[in-house]
Amino acid sequence: MKKKLLLLSFFVATVFAASAQDTTKTDPPLTLSGSVDTYYKYDFSKHNNFPTSFASDQNSVSIGMIDLALKKKVGKAAFVGELSFGPRGQEQSIPNEGADKNSYHIQNLYVSYDVTDQLNLTAGYMATFMGYEVISPVGNFNYSTSYLFTNGPFQNPGFKATYSFSSKVSLMAGIFNDSWNYYQSVSKVNTFGAQLMVAPVTGWTAYLNVLSGKLSGTEFDLTTSYQITDAFKLGLNAADFTAADAVGDGGFTGVALYPQFAVSKDVTLGLRGEYFKTKTGSYLTYGPAPGSSVTALTFTANIKGGPLTFIPEVRFDNNKNVTDGFTNSKGVATKSASQFVLAAVYAF
Amino acid sequence: MVCLLLLQAAWAQKDSLQFDESNIYVYYHVVDKPGLSADTLFKRAWYFAKAADYMIKIEALPNAFTTTGKFLIYSGVSVVKKESGEVNYTLLIETKDNKYRYKLGGFVFTPYKRDRFGNMVAVPGIKVPLEKLLSKYSLKEANPILDQAGGFAIATGNKLSSFMERTSSVIKIQTVKKVATDRW
Repeated sequence: MKKKLLLLSFFVATVFAASAQDTTKTDPPLTLSGSVDTYYKYDFSKHNNFPTSFASDQNSVSIGMIDLALKKKVGKAAFVGELSFGPRGQEQSIPNEGADKNSYHIQNLYVSYDVTDQLNLTAGYMATFMGYEVISPVGNFNYSTSYLFTNGPFQNPGFKATYSFSSKVSLMAGIFNDSWNYYQSVSKVNTFGAQLMVAPVTGWTAYLNVLSGKLSGTEFDLTTSYQITDAFKLGLNAADFTAADAVGDGGFTGVALYPQFAVSKDVTLGLRGEYFKTKTGSYLTYGPAPGSSVTALTFTANIKGGPLTFIPEVRFDNNKNVTDGFTNSKGVATKSASQFVLAAVYAF
Repeated sequence: MVCLLLLQAAWAQKDSLQFDESNIYVYYHVVDKPGLSADTLFKRAWYFAKAADYMIKIEALPNAFTTTGKFLIYSGVSVVKKESGEVNYTLLIETKDNKYRYKLGGFVFTPYKRDRFGNMVAVPGIKVPLEKLLSKYSLKEANPILDQAGGFAIATGNKLSSFMERTSSVIKIQTVKKVATDRW
C-alpha cells in the first residue's frame, strides 16, 4: 500500500512539474480551437426577407455550425486546418462541389513558413483578408451579417508573402486563384491581392486591402477598428467593388460603422449601421437591384457567460425602392424589413 | 497526503506574487551573497539578462538595470490548450556588496482571440494590469492567469539565481559511452 502511495505521489509530482515548465513555452504542440453556434430567428414579415448571410431560418431554432480549427507550429513551419459542419459552415460559406455536393468542410487549409522574423510565406486555401466580418460567429459582434460581408469574398486560395516592417506596419502581397470561394481555379492563378496594415496608435489598427482579377473583378476595402477607451470600440468597413468585364458590369459601394460599448464586464451593446449601394449594370448582388441602395441598422448585445455568448439582436433594413426585394407578411412588395435573432455561441 | 500537498503547491503559484506599497503585483526577493562584490553580482545579472535576450535599460541607481519582456498565458488542457493571452512585465535587478535584489512587476495582460486564419492574436487596445483582472474577468478566468504569472516569476527567479551562483555557466562534459566492437 505504501509503495502504491509513493508511486502515486511521484506520478502527481511529475505531472505538475511538467505542467509548470509549460508556462514559458511559445508554441503548444497542437492546438484545437473552434465554436458551436445555434440561433432562433423571427422575421416580422413571417418569412425570410434578408439576403445577407446566415441566420436564415424563419421561426425556427436552427443550427449554425460546429467549427474545428487545428494548428501546429514547429520552429518556423506551421499549418492550419479548419473544418466546419452545419449550414453556416457548409453551403452558406464554402463550395458544395461534385455530384454528391461534397463540401469537403474546409474553411482554412494552408501551410506557412517564417523565412525570417519579418517575412512569412503562406500557401493554400485561406479565409479572405478582405472585410470586417468573418464566417466564424466568434469573430463577429453581430450575429447577422452585413451586405458588404455577404457580397465580398469568403476565401481566397493562393500564395501570399507578408513582411512586417515593425509591429505597427506590415505589407502583404499575393497571387490568388481567378475566382473567389472555390477550392480550385477556373483556369488561372491571376488575381492579385495586397494588404497594408498600419497601427498608428495603441488600440487602432487599419487595413487597406485590394483584390483584383480578370475574372473576379476588383475590390478596394478599408477595415479599421479603434479601442478608444476600455469600454468603447469603434469599427469601420468601407468597400468598392467593380465586376469583371467577363461577368458583366456594375458592382457595389458601401460603408458600415460598428460602435460598441461595454456596459459591464459581461455585457456589451453594439450597433451596426450600414449603407450599401449597388451600381447600375448587369451584375446582381445579394441586396437591392442594380442602381439602388439599402440602409441597415442592427442593434446587438453580447452577454457573456464564460465561453458562452448570448447574442440578442434586432435588425431593421430599409431599401431605396419598393421593388428591391422585401415583401410583407401578405407577400406585397415593401421597402422595409425587420427581424429578431437570439443566438448562442460557444467558443473553445 | 503527499498528493494533496503537491496539488495545493501547484495551484498556489499565484500566491508567490505580492502587492507592493502601491498595490501593484510584484515578485520581490532580496538575496544574500556573502563575499561577492556589487560589481561581480552586477556582471552575473547582466549576463543573465543578455542570455535571455532581454531589452535592457540602465537605471539611474548604481549597479541596477531593468529589463522588459513578455510571456504567454495558456488556457484549456490537452488538445484544446492554446494561447489565451500574453503578459508584459518589467524586471528590476540591483546589486550591492554581499547581496542583490530583483523585482518582477508591471504585469499587464493582453487577451488573445482567434483571427480569421485560425491564429491566436492579441486583441488591439486591451491591456489589463494583473491587479485589475477581476474588473474585466471572472475569478475562474483570472485565477489561471495569476497562477501562470506566479509560475513564470518563480521560474525567472530560479533562473536568475542559477546565474548569480554561476551554476548555469558550468558546462558539464558528458562522457560518451562507446562500445568496442572489434574485440569480442
